[in-house]
Amino acid sequence: MSGRLLGQDAAVLGAAGVEVGTLRDIEQWAFRSVSRPAGARVVDAHCHLGVDRDGHALSADDLVADLDAAGIAAAVAFPADEPGPGGDFSQANQRVLDAAAAHADRIIPFCRVDPAVGAERAMDRAHAGGARGLKLHPVAQRFAPESDACVHAVRHAADLGWPVLFHAGFGARPLGPAFAALLEQVPTARVILAHGGRGDHRSLAAVAARYPHVVFDTSIAALPDLATIPPERVVFGSDRPYGDHAQALHLVGAAARVAGWDEVALRGVLGGNLMRLLGDGGAA
Amino acid sequence: MSTADGLRVVTLAAQAEMALVRRDQVAGPLLAQAARAADGTPAGRLLREASAMVRGAPEREAVRQAALSLCRMALQDAHAQVLGAAS
Ligand SMILES: [Zn+2]
Repeated sequence: MSGRLLGQDAAVLGAAGVEVGTLRDIEQWAFRSVSRPAGARVVDAHCHLGVDRDGHALSADDLVADLDAAGIAAAVAFPADEPGPGGDFSQANQRVLDAAAAHADRIIPFCRVDPAVGAERAMDRAHAGGARGLKLHPVAQRFAPESDACVHAVRHAADLGWPVLFHAGFGARPLGPAFAALLEQVPTARVILAHGGRGDHRSLAAVAARYPHVVFDTSIAALPDLATIPPERVVFGSDRPYGDHAQALHLVGAAARVAGWDEVALRGVLGGNLMRLLGDGGAA
Repeated sequence: MSTADGLRVVTLAAQAEMALVRRDQVAGPLLAQAARAADGTPAGRLLREASAMVRGAPEREAVRQAALSLCRMALQDAHAQVLGAAS
């Protein structure tokens, strides 16, 4: 039995007076709420490693323990919001690459950059170290998706053959026109809009419909958003450590029932769509 | 459960979710209200548990995050209910 529970240390929860047994039953119920197609390889598209400025933290070993507990094969991981002294995330990116090297078949490393701070160099360095994609956070790093610096970073990612995962929730700015302007300039970009595009879902869904390589991840997403877009545009994600795998899998199970996803659709959502986006079509 | 009953749970659970995210003390009362509104459904069990956890150790970060997980699952269930799929 895992020492982890809902992404937390079970002993810490127990010491706080929580009914650990009840919680474990609930977690198992949530894991079972997705009927996984036989042989489906589940891959999480959205995890952060390191210590965020806001205190949220996750180590590589804890992430792998969480994946084991939830029956998840692998996870995309990128740094938390820790740009470091130079502001270019170089140390945090290196830590993610080291984690991926230590857990080669479990962690798929993405790098994180600030488009305004040596982004191309940071991406090249991460690429040489084995990174498979880029994470950008317009709210945390305070840039507009359609800004020149961001367009450059996305174009460079496309040149490297990388998908780009964008934080796309919880900000004040309208996101539809911003991503429309970005995609107009880099129409071949493979883009993952996090949180189901919760920050401006209706508008983003209309934009995404025009670009076949734009998908939404399910991390901390809203069910009505996920259930109303084609399942081939949906990739499973948790946003560890902001979210945990129980709620993440439970959301996919609920969306599958509401939207009537069949086995093929569910296999894609749980991992196949992401692996295709990573240029790894046969692997899932 | 009627659509009105479902929407009541959606509203309260969504408010509780944001209160938990913002570390706002109002999360406790909102979870208790949501649990009562969802009584007899799967979401009710999740919200009852989250409410008890937050009442017992409101300042513990691990408890807040675990309660947030339960609250979000309850919201997902309530959304599914309103959208017409029992879970
Ligand atoms: Zn995230």
